[in-house]
Amino acid sequence: MVINGVDIDDTFAEAFNMRGTRILITAQNLRWAYNAANAMTGFATSVIGCGVEAGIERELTEDETPDGRPGLSVLMFAMGSKVLMQQLETRMGQCILTCPTAAAFAGIESEDMISLGKHLRFFGDGHQVSKQIPDANGKRKRYWRIPVMDGEFLTEETTGMVRAIGGGNFLVLGASQAQVLTACEAAIDAMRQHPNVIMPFPGGVVRSGSKVGSKYPKMFASTNDAFCPTLKGVVKSELDPRVESVMEIVVNGLSFEDIAVSMKAGIEAACGLGKDNGILRISAGNYGGKLGQHHFKLRPILSGEVK
Amino acid sequence: MSHITLSAKAVTRHVDCRSLVPNLLSDKSMAEIAAMRLAADLTVADVFEVSVEADEAHTITFLNTTSAHQYIGFAMTAGQIIVAGDAGDYLGAQLQNGVLICKGNAGARAGDRMRRGMLLIEGNVGEYCASDMMAGTLGVLGNTGAYLGYGMKRGTLLLAQAPAAQATWIDCGLHKLPFLNILYKSFKRLDSRFTQINSQRVQRLVGDMGGLGKAEMLVIQP
Repeated sequence: MVINGVDIDDTFAEAFNMRGTRILITAQNLRWAYNAANAMTGFATSVIGCGVEAGIERELTEDETPDGRPGLSVLMFAMGSKVLMQQLETRMGQCILTCPTAAAFAGIESEDMISLGKHLRFFGDGHQVSKQIPDANGKRKRYWRIPVMDGEFLTEETTGMVRAIGGGNFLVLGASQAQVLTACEAAIDAMRQHPNVIMPFPGGVVRSGSKVGSKYPKMFASTNDAFCPTLKGVVKSELDPRVESVMEIVVNGLSFEDIAVSMKAGIEAACGLGKDNGILRISAGNYGGKLGQHHFKLRPILSGEVK
Repeated sequence: MSHITLSAKAVTRHVDCRSLVPNLLSDKSMAEIAAMRLAADLTVADVFEVSVEADEAHTITFLNTTSAHQYIGFAMTAGQIIVAGDAGDYLGAQLQNGVLICKGNAGARAGDRMRRGMLLIEGNVGEYCASDMMAGTLGVLGNTGAYLGYGMKRGTLLLAQAPAAQATWIDCGLHKLPFLNILYKSFKRLDSRFTQINSQRVQRLVGDMGGLGKAEMLVIQP
């Protein structure tokens, strides 16, 4: 398969079951909503070292937020419910509670509701106020008003936890670092137009793809040497002589379809620069298909067979 | 689910309406409601014209009521009551849940020992409004009588008019509270003048310091 002169490998991305949640963050204006959301989703690139993978999903208009202020929706993913709950509480306390004018609300409904401000309320030292207020459908929701130095910190008591998928990915292989990065930027811009997904790495792009295991016994992951351009000829490389740079885009989403749709958009945008601009191949990362529960096959996704 | 309308007949005595709440009437027919006893010598049919319509809502509308109609919405646990007239004493007393809207004036002890839900009074209220109130939201657009929030433990009194100063309520100053936007949004689905409120700026008073002291009055500022 070739798109705009770019070869599409006959391979697949291997992804895993995760637990996910969505939080709506509002503030006096978008600047402060971003300050809160950037703090909350900071150091959340990979579960390997951060506990969770998180990112800003999109901006919300005043009509879309519970308190009628500008806001952002944030998605957060973890390998299990326990760590997701721990990380959410920690990040709520350190990143949202602390941020001037910020408030947090549930962004997803589920049978599994987890604490958003339920325990954080004790920061109020007995002065916290509970309010149960019906939503537009008449369903009562509990909010906590916690006195803080800038006024009141407002948070919903819980948010939903749902089954999700993490680790969808594709690799962009090109003739130079600058060209690959430009293609990845185009891909990220296209993928951010789609709901229910985040690309958790810096700017949505990761340059340090990994393989399982290492020559060092204490390391359980190490550099993906088969895709490192400077190791061509030294290791069993996946790269031909033209490739000087490889970057990866990892995508987590609330469903298989969400990830597949965003991957298609991202790959098509990357291929939009074409062979003439140094984009040579699209591939994907997997572990032979034996570890991950979900396989995102590039060619069926791009041909529209998988939606 | 049904929409029950109780149109009050002229009365010369007090009428105890405590059994006329959505959770007690929802599965009853018009005839069954009409035959219900409000006192030993008084049935619903003696003092109300009853009509019942199948409806997705869980609502009772009182028409033509006066200060003689007491205990409207007493301990209701669900649904909505609209009082399109005045109400007597103990309106919404011991309210457990649901929404109670009074378009006229209410007597004494409105919201007494209220635990949860929303009581919205568009007119004036008598003395001891929100007495011993435990939680929930009680709004008053008109004037409030003496001993407002007497013994009130928790919950919110939302007031459009400034109340008389009381020694056991502490003025915490003027504030802009974001949660009010959520509260006002919840009013939008109601047939009430409360939908017209939009100011998030309020004077906050905390009390009743003669008791638990965790309740608040929010006086809406223009």
